[in-house]
Amino acid sequence: MLTGGRDAKRGSEDRTPGTDASAKQVRLMIVDDHPAVRLGLQQLLDCQPNFSVAAVCIDAEGAAARAEAERIDVAVVDYQLGGRNGLWLCRQLRRLPDPPHVIIFSAFANDHLAACCAVAGAGAVLNKGVLGSELCDAVRSVVRGRRLLPRVSQPLADMLRRRLPEREQMLFGMLLAGIPRVEIARTLAMSARELNCRADAMLRDLEPLPGEASASDRPQRRLDRERLIPRPRPASPLRG
Amino acid sequence: MSSSADEAPRRRAGRGRYRPLLQRVVAANAALLVAACLLTVLVLAPRKFSTVAVDEAIVLLVALALVALINVFLVHRFVAPLQKLNALARRVDLASPGQRIPDARPISEAGELAATFNDMLARLEREQREVSRRVLAAHESERLRVAQELHDEVGQTLTAVLLQLSRAQERLPRELSGELREAQAAARASLEDVRRIATDLRPETLNDLGLASALAALSDGFGRRAGVRVERQIATPIPALGSEAELAVYRIAQEALTNVARHAGSDSAELTVSSDPDLLTLTIRDHGRGLPNRGAADGNGVRGMRERAGLIGAKLTIEPPLHGAGTELRLELPLDGARCSG
Repeated sequence: MLTGGRDAKRGSEDRTPGTDASAKQVRLMIVDDHPAVRLGLQQLLDCQPNFSVAAVCIDAEGAAARAEAERIDVAVVDYQLGGRNGLWLCRQLRRLPDPPHVIIFSAFANDHLAACCAVAGAGAVLNKGVLGSELCDAVRSVVRGRRLLPRVSQPLADMLRRRLPEREQMLFGMLLAGIPRVEIARTLAMSARELNCRADAMLRDLEPLPGEASASDRPQRRLDRERLIPRPRPASPLRG
Repeated sequence: MSSSADEAPRRRAGRGRYRPLLQRVVAANAALLVAACLLTVLVLAPRKFSTVAVDEAIVLLVALALVALINVFLVHRFVAPLQKLNALARRVDLASPGQRIPDARPISEAGELAATFNDMLARLEREQREVSRRVLAAHESERLRVAQELHDEVGQTLTAVLLQLSRAQERLPRELSGELREAQAAARASLEDVRRIATDLRPETLNDLGLASALAALSDGFGRRAGVRVERQIATPIPALGSEAELAVYRIAQEALTNVARHAGSDSAELTVSSDPDLLTLTIRDHGRGLPNRGAADGNGVRGMRERAGLIGAKLTIEPPLHGAGTELRLELPLDGARCSG
């Protein structure tokens, strides 16, 4: 699932391991609603050299508050959390003055989620089946500023693009391509704040499920599906 | 009556030994008339037979024949709907709805009965549809629940196991690392299985990305897992069908591909979706050993597919393809106004 190799070239200009970036203590935050996974992540990451787990949270709201209170370098976030989801948290974290890097750690890490992660500003998306060592490597990579998102297949990218209003389609393409946000803001002549707002609005059309819908996102979603209620889908040419 | 003449009514009735109403009424009327005529001739005729009497007898005979004919006509008109009703009642099958007695007009008691029978069939079909719909909805919601449980419990625990194994690997002596790696591989494979089963149970792509993407993901998955190479041709955009119809089309495709993998003995299949303004067609064709034998009763899987197709007003046919070996499943779904919403 993870095809970090494709992005390796982008990262090749990064500093080589052993310089100050990797020697520095990496402060981590873990966000997962399952106790065994939380514990597993904590034990694994805590015993790595230079890693220290600064916070362990069970939901997105708590994690957002925690990250405001103390400095976090990397947040390892489950996509499906009890209330608001991992992408919501990712957006909150990336707006902080000194934003942490975000790794979305999901059982269903597919292209679609990867595309949403690109728009939300996550640094990496990892499948929950990865080895511990791969996770640790991913943490080290995102600290160095690399982006480990699988490349989104062209048909899917096109399909998602069509869900968006026309004026957002170019922005979506740039975010998907991994162009740094500063550069995008400069190219399109807009403020970082405006860029964030537009990315948020875009996510509402792209996300697998409405992330902002409600605090009880998951139970509601489960209920919807049990009743087989069609979820409102944004009109798009593909859907006719 | 002779025994061979007895045979015919019994065959026609199929069951029970009786003479048909038509025969009985006509015979009784004819006998009555013949008796009346004889009486008339004998009582009223002149003492000596004359040409006049013979003429009268001819007139009487012709009248007799006419009355018998009118009798046959009227009784047949009455009995014909009953025969049609009988025949339909014998072969009617709610699994293939839409069978009705033709020309059932309430112009006689029998016609009324036929029309009522048609109404009853319509009602039964409606109720049957309602029951199927409820059963299928219950199935789907149960599948969602199981998928969610699998993901939330088994999947998460396996993730935790993997993480702990990773940590243990760093701390254990080197000679144990081989075994640990095997344990890790097993846990990873199980996690992959859990994910696959959950995805089969709950077609998430369908909700999130629509039918075209879901069918593409489905055929890719079959290529990887079951070793059946699925060539697909999906004419996008697929028109909006509504969630019930989309789910039905997806499940039928899923079942059809499962059948290809299990029974067809074919390593390749073709999935085609084409649509014109008023018809969406899904075709799944394999190059395997074909249908077991024609006319055999449908298995559970096929029955389920027919049920789903019926609920969305689509037509499902499973036949050998026009050219070559194998089986071709064809689902035709009328779009928009043409579709009976059931």
